Amino acid sequence: MKNNIYAKILKRFFSSLLTIFLIITFIFILVRISPGDPTQKYISPELSPQLKESVAESFNLNEPLPLQYLSFVINLAKGDFGISYNHRMPVLKVIWEFLPFTLIFAAIVFIFQILVSLFLAIYSVKNINGFVDKLLNKLAILFYVTPVFVAGLFLVLIFSVQLNLFPSSGLSSFNSYDQSFLNKLIDYAHHLFLPLITLSLGGIAIFYKYLRDNIVNVMQEPFVLNLHANGYSNKKIFFKHILPNAVNPLISIAGIELGLLLSGTLITEVIFSLPGFGRLMIDSIMLRDYPLVVGCSFIASVAVVFSNLAADLIKFKIDKRMIQEING
Amino acid sequence: MQNNKLKLNFNISLNKPMKRNLPALIVFLSLLIISCQSEPTNLNRVIIGIDEDVQSFNPMFSFSVNEGRISELLYLSLVKHSWDNKISDLRTEFMLAENIIWSEDSSSITINLRRNVSWSDGKPVTSEDVVFSFDAYSHPKVNSKFFGLFDNFILDSDNHIDISKSFEIMSENKIIIHFKNNSIPSYFDIDMPIIPKHMFEGIDYSDFETADINSNPVTNGPYKLTRWNKNSLIELTLNRNSFLAADNSIDKILFKIIPDYNSQLIQLENEEIDFIDKVKPDDAHKLNETDKNIIIKSVVGREYDYVGWSNIDIEKFEQKKIEPNIFFGNINVRKALTHAINRNEILNEFLYGYGSLASTPVAPIFENAIKKSIEPYQYNPELAKLILAEEGWTDTDFNGIIEKDNVEFKFDLFIPAGNPRRDFAATVIKNNLKAVGIDVSIKSLELGQFIDNLYDRKMNAWMAAWYIPIPIELSVYWHSNFEQAPLNFQSYQNENVDRIITEFNNESDEQNKINLLKEFQKIIHNEEPVTFLYWVDNIVAYNSRIKNIDVNPLGAIHACWDWSLVK
Repeated sequence: MKNNIYAKILKRFFSSLLTIFLIITFIFILVRISPGDPTQKYISPELSPQLKESVAESFNLNEPLPLQYLSFVINLAKGDFGISYNHRMPVLKVIWEFLPFTLIFAAIVFIFQILVSLFLAIYSVKNINGFVDKLLNKLAILFYVTPVFVAGLFLVLIFSVQLNLFPSSGLSSFNSYDQSFLNKLIDYAHHLFLPLITLSLGGIAIFYKYLRDNIVNVMQEPFVLNLHANGYSNKKIFFKHILPNAVNPLISIAGIELGLLLSGTLITEVIFSLPGFGRLMIDSIMLRDYPLVVGCSFIASVAVVFSNLAADLIKFKIDKRMIQEING
Repeated sequence: MQNNKLKLNFNISLNKPMKRNLPALIVFLSLLIISCQSEPTNLNRVIIGIDEDVQSFNPMFSFSVNEGRISELLYLSLVKHSWDNKISDLRTEFMLAENIIWSEDSSSITINLRRNVSWSDGKPVTSEDVVFSFDAYSHPKVNSKFFGLFDNFILDSDNHIDISKSFEIMSENKIIIHFKNNSIPSYFDIDMPIIPKHMFEGIDYSDFETADINSNPVTNGPYKLTRWNKNSLIELTLNRNSFLAADNSIDKILFKIIPDYNSQLIQLENEEIDFIDKVKPDDAHKLNETDKNIIIKSVVGREYDYVGWSNIDIEKFEQKKIEPNIFFGNINVRKALTHAINRNEILNEFLYGYGSLASTPVAPIFENAIKKSIEPYQYNPELAKLILAEEGWTDTDFNGIIEKDNVEFKFDLFIPAGNPRRDFAATVIKNNLKAVGIDVSIKSLELGQFIDNLYDRKMNAWMAAWYIPIPIELSVYWHSNFEQAPLNFQSYQNENVDRIITEFNNESDEQNKINLLKEFQKIIHNEEPVTFLYWVDNIVAYNSRIKNIDVNPLGAIHACWDWSLVK
């Protein structure tokens, strides 16, 4: 039985790798056949026309596309994504400078979304059809449909401009580098409070709606009545039986959300001037930095594909019926 | 009903202490965070908002505006060019050079370097550094931004400066540069930042671009790099040993990267930053009225918007043939189009007066070179209709669109996406031309594709802007030889203009150059190869605590070691 499961997981793992390879191949070709030229920035009345030619040669752009792809695949096998045209350093090194912030910030946002939505969903169910429940339902829809940039600018307007409680941008104060660890931590929290709220609102709304409705649905299942009749406590029934069943459909959505968060939180990063992966990715596209576009796409696709894989594995762990399905 | 029942049955409660403490904890944490004091604003430092980070502090790779600005503060050139309002032109100042002696025939110069200048690692700046810099800048493997710009030097077959023939090191602080025979060298030929030879020794020329030294530079300028938080902040600290540092120079200049323009404005109003440029005219208008702590300054810019008309047939051009464009190949038609466009409407309604009408590509900042007798073509749709009719463009089928030889006067006007000024102007132009019977469709293109189409000459009409170089450069925009003039997108060809450009490039006498420029303007105005719309002012906004900011055509951050703060 276990072998079946491992085989299934392994198959899924290799199909994920293949998906990622196809994605970056597609991106590699797409960016090269799209309009635009990485050497455009080397054309200016203040620069010599010879420079553009010299740069194009050093980027290997004069080679035919199949040859470029071949050397890309050979280098990829060695773990080398090439040199970023714009940053003038290896692609993975560039990404590594921007990724930690996004990883940490996405993790914080994700945990915050899960905790807050769980708390609100339980609170809503507890007061079902009450004023707070109805209000939360309406607010959830409002937050879900509100674009991130609107929420961000609104929060900046209220909390930065009007109330002057939080800074409107940046990751830390310019003078925080010589402060104590605790002060630095508080300084980060101070700066990240508004971005955290901005980025979390949509996720909280969707998680809350799913959780609340799932909990209500599961509560109406006959097995819950049965457990109740057998004298189990409310708390035990809820946390051991209702909540795991209610959470199950949410895991797939959480996997997608986490993947999207990890692959960049562009709008929030732009509004709050945060040094994240999303901005790096967009800049690389705008500047036609081909190696960096492919490198960023690789990281983004790894984040999305493997978050989904992780979500499926968690579902396996929680829902025993899926294991039975594998075993026929 | 059922839900109510559920509610009664499942009175789930969170752990009681948790329930009680969670809101309190959230409030406590929020208060703790809020209680962090905001950044003090009375320090001896200035924060400048910029929209993108730099990628290199090496001046040979400072391709972007911000890279140029910052490397100028970090590295000294032999000479520096500043804007002189009195003469409306550039003025040369000695920087690393203490004095420069020209030979009688101007074929060589002897440069005595300042003796009190050192690198930030303590080593002295010497003649070796100067020679190395020119060697590196002209080396074909380096891909320096100065590559190919050494026409007045003695070059080898790779366009690399022949160092042994061009440079003579007389001592640690004295050097002679020999120029090519029959060349016309000037101070512009040596206005290049000097980089430290000892930091690049051992690095292959082709690896200069990716060397670690580019992000951790050893410098000799009035400021030195003390911190770089990528995509967040660049901190420069005053080099107190620099001869440019004054007692009241600002200790720290911080460049805060804020990609969103609206966030820049909010932070300026909030005093989180002190200075921004490229302020939009309507915001400048509002800030001027509402915020007394913010000073708005503008200078007639170096940027002009224009409507490009392809003078040649773009389809024939693909077949390597040059034939006049059916619409825009005619001088009178182009003049009529300019008469039909209400440029003042765009100036007043979008630019709020922060600009002036353009008539030629010679910027009004060069007051001496402007041919004052040239008057901008006035908005006159009736005159436009008359000229068009004289050229055979009339509405014979009464469908509202003029035609000639069964060809209706209709075309696509391409604009780059995401530029509100162009969007507004294009709509005005479309409406104006409709009024004279020309049907225009506005097509918005992604910037990369737009630029591709310009170079490939795939558009009949477009709207774009030029940021003109100082000193004046004509050849790349206006010469008939398209290889020599890669930016002549309108494919304008005129033998007289070619002659003027050649003479202008070979002329060293300033007055003769001015006369040639005036002649050039007269021809361009008469032939109107494109419709020159307006010069756009460069608007900067800054906190009133900063003093001595000189906003000039070279920019405001050009010499910020001269800035000081109100005590």
